[in-house]
Amino acid sequence: MRKVYLDHSATTPVDPRVVEAMLPYFTEKFGNASSVHQMGQEARAGVDRARRQIAAFIGARANEIVFTSGGTEANNLAILGVGEAAQSHGRHIIISAIEHPSVRASAEHLQKNGWELTSLPVYESGIVRVEDVRAALRPDTVLISIMMANNEIGTIQLVAEIGALVHAERERGHRHLWLHTDAVQAAGRIPLDVESLGCDLLSLSAHKIYAPKGTGALFVRRGMRLFPQQHGGHQERERRGGTEAVANIVAFGTAAELAQKELTERNDHTRRLRNRFEKQLSERVDDFVFNGDRERRLPHLSNISFRFIEGEGLLIHLDMQGVAVSTGSACSSGTIEPSPIIRALGRDDELARGSIRFSFGKDNSEEDVDYVLEVTTRAIESLRKLSPLSQTSAALV
Amino acid sequence: MPYSEQFQDHIANPRNAGHLAGANAVAEETNPVCGDRLRLGLHISDGRIEAARFLAYGCPATLACGSALAELLEGMAVEEAMKLTRREIIDALGGLPTRKQHAAALAIETLHAAIDKLHGGR
Repeated sequence: MRKVYLDHSATTPVDPRVVEAMLPYFTEKFGNASSVHQMGQEARAGVDRARRQIAAFIGARANEIVFTSGGTEANNLAILGVGEAAQSHGRHIIISAIEHPSVRASAEHLQKNGWELTSLPVYESGIVRVEDVRAALRPDTVLISIMMANNEIGTIQLVAEIGALVHAERERGHRHLWLHTDAVQAAGRIPLDVESLGCDLLSLSAHKIYAPKGTGALFVRRGMRLFPQQHGGHQERERRGGTEAVANIVAFGTAAELAQKELTERNDHTRRLRNRFEKQLSERVDDFVFNGDRERRLPHLSNISFRFIEGEGLLIHLDMQGVAVSTGSACSSGTIEPSPIIRALGRDDELARGSIRFSFGKDNSEEDVDYVLEVTTRAIESLRKLSPLSQTSAALV
Repeated sequence: MPYSEQFQDHIANPRNAGHLAGANAVAEETNPVCGDRLRLGLHISDGRIEAARFLAYGCPATLACGSALAELLEGMAVEEAMKLTRREIIDALGGLPTRKQHAAALAIETLHAAIDKLHGGR
């Protein structure tokens, strides 16, 4: 059976060039990067190089990069670390309704400790309005956390515009106001530059850019106060205790360099496949909607709600045909809610339950797209024949 | 995949799916928690289920339970059908993950509701 992986927003395979770069750090250069001896310094050199590669990837300085265990930890460190450091200046945080759970839950954690939390709507486009951010600002707002691009629908937020707003506010005397952006999904799919974005903190994850799981990074602008959330180590300039995962960090750096070098090529490729998929699907299937803005979105992703059927039913049909996709709807994750992201777009429960995310990668081919179109069309027909909601099944008397 | 071969076969080849013209016992039940729906149409004659058809909307477990239920019911005496348990549906599917077993409960509820209708409702 043909296998087609269309879940690159969940994770990506490790690029063989990345594997090659990291392998020596398991056996030959296995030293602890904090050790003074040569073995340690060899490992340190690997970490330092990766730090420069990650910094170059987002237009930052090397000493502004803090390695973490992944995107979730980077988001936790940004929100809780700034929260702890800045609470004497204010205890109000602004996020969007479609942030990743690691941002939302961290903000809610602050809320439990007496902070006030404003969650901004995204409307049908799946994009936060800058005027809403402006309207939500208060003298005691210390942190705004708006993701660069959404993980489920791929919509790209107006982070640079929000960054400009934050700068203007600071000039007006609101000195203790910072902007964090979760760029885990955006990295490697759109160019990232912390200067033009005007953000103070930016989260990254290695495994979304063809490096292994278990490593991420947080950009922390020079001069920012941030309290560590891992105690008991001097690593990462006192911002994140714990022995560095040297091999993984080397892999992350290599993957970032490749992603930067091949950005246009990869994006042209995935955009072509995604657009081909969407166009041909529209010719074969009725009664579905694309979720999120059609223009301001990541080039590799298509999120679609199919009427009359439930996302997990479609997912399992595709899985049985060797096609891996994902659904934001509830049952798949063991809970019972329709996708909160799709609900935030104002969609009804049926559409929020019938959403499927197809996310393409650099190694997919046109043949993959054709195969997925064929099995998706068949699966939808089959599920709609079973559905009591479907127009194709006349009312039962 | 956490699902058995039997389960996958019910998903790939649903048994007895569709409407039943001339059904005399019909019910549609909704799981109030997750919104899954199961519709069952039975043709009952002389205390025996001559034909059973289902339609389902929801997670794969609900689809598979509908299929397994409709297949089990055909040819079964009503009295026997009333004794069907969740366990028998789950066994017919080669097992279900714990968090999906509510789908079998929905199947049994829908069966009871359909047979109740035949008896003029309760």
